Amino acid sequence: MKATRIIITAMNLKWAHKAANALRGFASSVIACGCEADIERELLPSETPDGRPGISLMIFAMSTKDLEKQVPTRVGQSVMTTATTSCYAGILDGKQIAMGKSLRFFGDGYQISKVINGRRFWRIPVMHGEFICEDTTGVTNAIGGGNFLVLAKTARHALTACEKAVDEINKIPGVITAFPGGMVGSGSKVGSKYDFLPASTNEVYCPTLKGQVNSELSEEIGSVLEIVIDGLDEESINEAMRVGIKAVCSFGPKKGICRISAGNYGGELGPYHFHLRKILK
Amino acid sequence: MNPLIFTLKIQPEFILDVAQLTPDNLAGLNKTEIKSLKLPYGKNMVPLDTLFSVTGTDSNNIQINRSCEKLVAVGRYMTHGTINVNGNVGKILGSYLHGGTITINGNAGSWVGNNMSGGRIDINGNAGDHVGAGKPGDTFGMTDGIIKITGSAGDRVGDRMRRGMIIIYGKAGDYCGSRMHAGTIIVLDKAGKNSGAGMRRGTIILAKKPSHIAATFKSNGNLKIQFLRLLFTQLSNMGNEFSIFKEFGPEAHRLSGDLARNGKGEILILHTLNLRN
Repeated sequence: MKATRIIITAMNLKWAHKAANALRGFASSVIACGCEADIERELLPSETPDGRPGISLMIFAMSTKDLEKQVPTRVGQSVMTTATTSCYAGILDGKQIAMGKSLRFFGDGYQISKVINGRRFWRIPVMHGEFICEDTTGVTNAIGGGNFLVLAKTARHALTACEKAVDEINKIPGVITAFPGGMVGSGSKVGSKYDFLPASTNEVYCPTLKGQVNSELSEEIGSVLEIVIDGLDEESINEAMRVGIKAVCSFGPKKGICRISAGNYGGELGPYHFHLRKILK
Repeated sequence: MNPLIFTLKIQPEFILDVAQLTPDNLAGLNKTEIKSLKLPYGKNMVPLDTLFSVTGTDSNNIQINRSCEKLVAVGRYMTHGTINVNGNVGKILGSYLHGGTITINGNAGSWVGNNMSGGRIDINGNAGDHVGAGKPGDTFGMTDGIIKITGSAGDRVGDRMRRGMIIIYGKAGDYCGSRMHAGTIIVLDKAGKNSGAGMRRGTIILAKKPSHIAATFKSNGNLKIQFLRLLFTQLSNMGNEFSIFKEFGPEAHRLSGDLARNGKGEILILHTLNLRN
């Protein structure tokens, strides 16, 4: 996969969050959304290019071409439209894709280019004042789809444990959990009986099909949630999976957690394999 | 390594062109070869050895001591390395500079950084006219890089500049930013008459209200300019010498002009300090 990081700043964190949440909307899976995006972390004013509070956000896609399509569209419709925001590159080196370079035309000829310290910024006059957007943002190789499954007695047990796991994972830099709330309620397998579908329900982990298919679930398991992690490198994903699994395991069987597993799709979905036992050593 | 130090033995009577004394030109030369270089001195070519004593070895780090106004073209066409000059220098300092840093601990003559396309010039003193301008007949002045002047500058700072930044801690003369195509000029003390005359694009930031603004500039009112917040934050992150910019806020009176030209340039007159919120 390919990824980029962007930094959104605003008058205060509340409005930076509004822009970031708008951008990451409908960006849970590359299967149908075109990209996967989520907030990486909040940034202090001292960490942002313009000295305002900000949000670091990562966007993952299957190719640079997909990112080239998704980034200007999402920044233009979600960040530029949010009051008081500015948008900057979070990765400065590597291959560059257009951001302000595309959006500048919204300025209808009144846009101004400024180069500061070798970085080009576009000043686009808008109704709230000025929308500042960096010309380009860098693209880097990345890994998508590191995952583990939480097998629990009930949906409530699974949800409680996964919420804690996602909180812990979100503390790790360089990773995101793009699905709503950081977890997937409808984990999929690759392919389908229908030719037009690239992915379909993972029936061996569906509790309602335990008696109908060659199920992976034992009798007591009534709910399964999947946590999917995208990251900039293997180490970050390893660490995120480790803290996530440990958080889930801290609940134990008494609180309804029965087993941890992972979707490995026959080991054929991508070149990276995350072996749970190895990660936890 | 020891910097390569050139110390003037005499006070030159004529103009002395030291354009050859750059890291690019001196790379790979031994001390004997350097001493035998011939420099244009008045109408003649004179061996370097007769004018300078030479010590040190590191040609990437050049130092010129006991300099005076007769030394011209310091750092011309330089692409990398550093030149430090102790004393004043004459005209066309850092002209056609592509990269590297030139520091002058003294005053500089006119045409500082003319046609420069990168690098940085620091003048710890005053500069003459036409800082960052293009030489007569050229379409553009400087096209990139930073010029920082801790003292004052003369007339027509940034005339026809295309890109880059000029920061003047003192005063600027008349016609500051005249005929600018783009780029940024910051003047922290008073600017003279007709700032921005004939500018097409670009930004002139004045910390003090000038006594005169041309009639071809139109007010856009007092605004919080988001770009100023970005610029001042970035500048203050560039080192202690720019820490003064931490004090500046985004509030400014914006004037558009020159309406006799494209009218897309701007003069931003900063209101006061400590307005970062």
